[in-house]
Amino acid sequence: MMKKNTDIRGLLMRSQKLWIILAIIIVLTVLQPGVFLTGANFKSILLSISIYGVMVCGTIFTILLGGIDLSVGAVAAASGAVCVKYIVNNGNTGSSALIGVLLGLGFGILVGLLHGIIVARFGVPAFLVTLASQNIVYGIAQLITNNKVISIMEPEGFIFLGGGRLLGVPFSIYIMLIATIISYIILNRTVYGRHIFAVGGNTQASDLSGIHSNRVKIIAYIASSFTAALAGIVLASMNRQAIAKAAQGYENDVLTAIVLGGVSLMGGEGNIQGAIWGALLVGIISNALRLMGIPSSYHGVVKGIVIIAAVALDAYVRYRNSGLKRSRVRSKAVN
Amino acid sequence: MEQIPILEMRDIVKTFNGVQVLKKVNFEVRKGEVHALMGENGAGKSTLIKILTGIYPKDNGEIYINGERKEINSRSDAAKCGISVIYQELSLISTLTVAQNVMLGKEDSKVGFLKRRKMKEEVQKLIDLYGFHIDADAPVETLTIAQRQTVEILKALSEESQVIIMDEPTASLSARESESLFEIIQQLREKGVSIIYISHRLEEVYRLSDRLTVLRDGTKEAVLTKEQINPTEVIRLMIGKELSEATASNQLCHSKQETVLKVKELTRKGVFQNVSFELHRGEILGFGGLMGAGRTEVMRCIFGADTYDSGEIYFKGKKVLGKVSDMIGLGFGLVPEDRRNQGFIPLLAIEKNVALTNYDSLAQKGFVKGRDEKQLGIQMVESLDIRPGNPQIPVGNLSGGNQQKAVLGKWLSRDLKVLIVDEPTAGIDIGAKDEVYKLLDNLAKQGTSVIVVSSDLQELLRVSHRILVMRKGTIFKEFASGRITQEDILMAASGIEEGGK
Repeated sequence: MMKKNTDIRGLLMRSQKLWIILAIIIVLTVLQPGVFLTGANFKSILLSISIYGVMVCGTIFTILLGGIDLSVGAVAAASGAVCVKYIVNNGNTGSSALIGVLLGLGFGILVGLLHGIIVARFGVPAFLVTLASQNIVYGIAQLITNNKVISIMEPEGFIFLGGGRLLGVPFSIYIMLIATIISYIILNRTVYGRHIFAVGGNTQASDLSGIHSNRVKIIAYIASSFTAALAGIVLASMNRQAIAKAAQGYENDVLTAIVLGGVSLMGGEGNIQGAIWGALLVGIISNALRLMGIPSSYHGVVKGIVIIAAVALDAYVRYRNSGLKRSRVRSKAVN
Repeated sequence: MEQIPILEMRDIVKTFNGVQVLKKVNFEVRKGEVHALMGENGAGKSTLIKILTGIYPKDNGEIYINGERKEINSRSDAAKCGISVIYQELSLISTLTVAQNVMLGKEDSKVGFLKRRKMKEEVQKLIDLYGFHIDADAPVETLTIAQRQTVEILKALSEESQVIIMDEPTASLSARESESLFEIIQQLREKGVSIIYISHRLEEVYRLSDRLTVLRDGTKEAVLTKEQINPTEVIRLMIGKELSEATASNQLCHSKQETVLKVKELTRKGVFQNVSFELHRGEILGFGGLMGAGRTEVMRCIFGADTYDSGEIYFKGKKVLGKVSDMIGLGFGLVPEDRRNQGFIPLLAIEKNVALTNYDSLAQKGFVKGRDEKQLGIQMVESLDIRPGNPQIPVGNLSGGNQQKAVLGKWLSRDLKVLIVDEPTAGIDIGAKDEVYKLLDNLAKQGTSVIVVSSDLQELLRVSHRILVMRKGTIFKEFASGRITQEDILMAASGIEEGGK
């Protein structure tokens, strides 16, 4: 009985997303014949989600722990700025590009470490920590770029990260795919992944099982900032410039994707496949809105409605299954 | 006494996550009576009360107040029906005065300004009416626990409650404070207020109650009148077994085997002091005492979950000062008291919960050996007879007994030296209880030392080889030999030293 329930629910949740995507695709194919359902358009959808798709792969760790990371957009901008500035200041050589990228990633790791320590050891709510740090890191990005655009055209290796193509497909899409696979493996095949679900599901019980939950949290915040930094570097390469506002608001897309993907904000429940589907859904919706010529002012409204609807549905299903819902209909006795 | 019940609950049914916790329960309270609600942990007492007070919705059944059918969907509905609860954890705001607390949420005001004096007078009138000894102007933080309880009762009375529910009201009271509470109860009864009294302390229940309803496994077992109430009968009804079988206890015996764990003058300021004891190989050591005696806290310190101020812990002669992970490495295991919040991860499957403490052997270089993990899950589900027998089911969806088996399963595949179980059978049914006891017996036979912390006296007598009784943060008495009775433990736990023995 119980097994059946969870199975049906799981199936519904999973196929829900597929149906929605499928329905949108069909509608759009009909509405925009020969424009929407083309390889080129799908490449462009994937390209458009590739940046925050990478971010999703790390930020999902913090959400699964019942935390959050609001700083990813700012971290991406600052890391991109660190990287590009170093490369430009050091003669745009191949070796400076390598060091620049490493510095950018290192910056991300450092920010994540600080987040993790403050959240785990001092017990400050992640929402507050990362909200404050969003401002700080954005400020750092402004300082580094001196509030100007830093252009970068060389070296080729660096530009390839975000602007190159492999077998006709933008390289950044590969980066997103690789990040997804690594995130999948960590979450599903490693002890650390098990610990994330355990700590996210019940921290006290995890502690009493010998899990160092603080360590698990710190690593998650590092992962989140690391993927943000990586995304920021790819973005800088794609745009051929570093600018403090580069990834402003990306944290919204990242969180939208994760929540749409069925990851519980309470922690302990969800998976990376879902989150990437969520990212794809956001991408398709944005793409469709553009193709249909709907003014960009409306895009935020539509995305906002979609996220509220998804979260409300999730909360409702949970509540209904909890036995706490008051209903006029008498529930059938179990057993 | 009038015969029309002031409160009647009919055929109440409640199911949580597919587990039926109340199966058509009938419950009836008359005007001006003290009605005890008895039952073991998990018998459905608190669920019934929560339905009555609008915290949980009922699946089925009806509630009548003074013969009139009512729907109680929230606490305020309950208050309107004249029902209020004095909670175990008091819900007062300590910085406000008695009067302010009593009037909280129903402040008298004129265009938004409080009518302070009038409110105070009202509360004072109430205090005088019932003859309580309390100052309406005193801030609640200056009051003793017992006085705070009086404030809670005042709060209920100010809402013109006809039925006051008291859930373990004496749990944190001294004997003298309890006496004054009993006096208050007496006064309330005389004024026609009905009281639903829930307590694990049988002697109080016998003394106070006019009638008594026994719940067992979600069904009403019996309603007894004052004349019919006698201890053996009530216990028999509560546990559903003949007393002879239920109280059949082990002969206590002091183990002669080597000492595995030695705790020396362990102190955590304000919680427990100078706790010293030894635990032998293959021994089951029972820890008795009342709620709040400090037993759980001692165990958490031994397990490395909390820190202590002074004292030492020795494992096989070596001093240990470890974190939880170190203690697990040494062969310790803990089944915590608060199963739901500390025992397991509700959303995770049985197999993953069971695996949590075993990744030292179930993983290689940080990667989980998926097949071994699954194998362990299957093995534990089978050997512990966890139902339903599918290791993929989230532990949160299991019944209490099966959840506890899953928690035990976390430790059983390890090379266990010391297993600490805290209230191991709280809220689980009799069948599962017996399985847990057998499991503990077997572990001990195989050489694991077991510490059982339990407030269930029968349980202590059933499983322990030796019993320590804690009281107010210290070990008050040791029972190491002979046959003892529940009364012996209860007396020690309440601080009564008997003569002669």
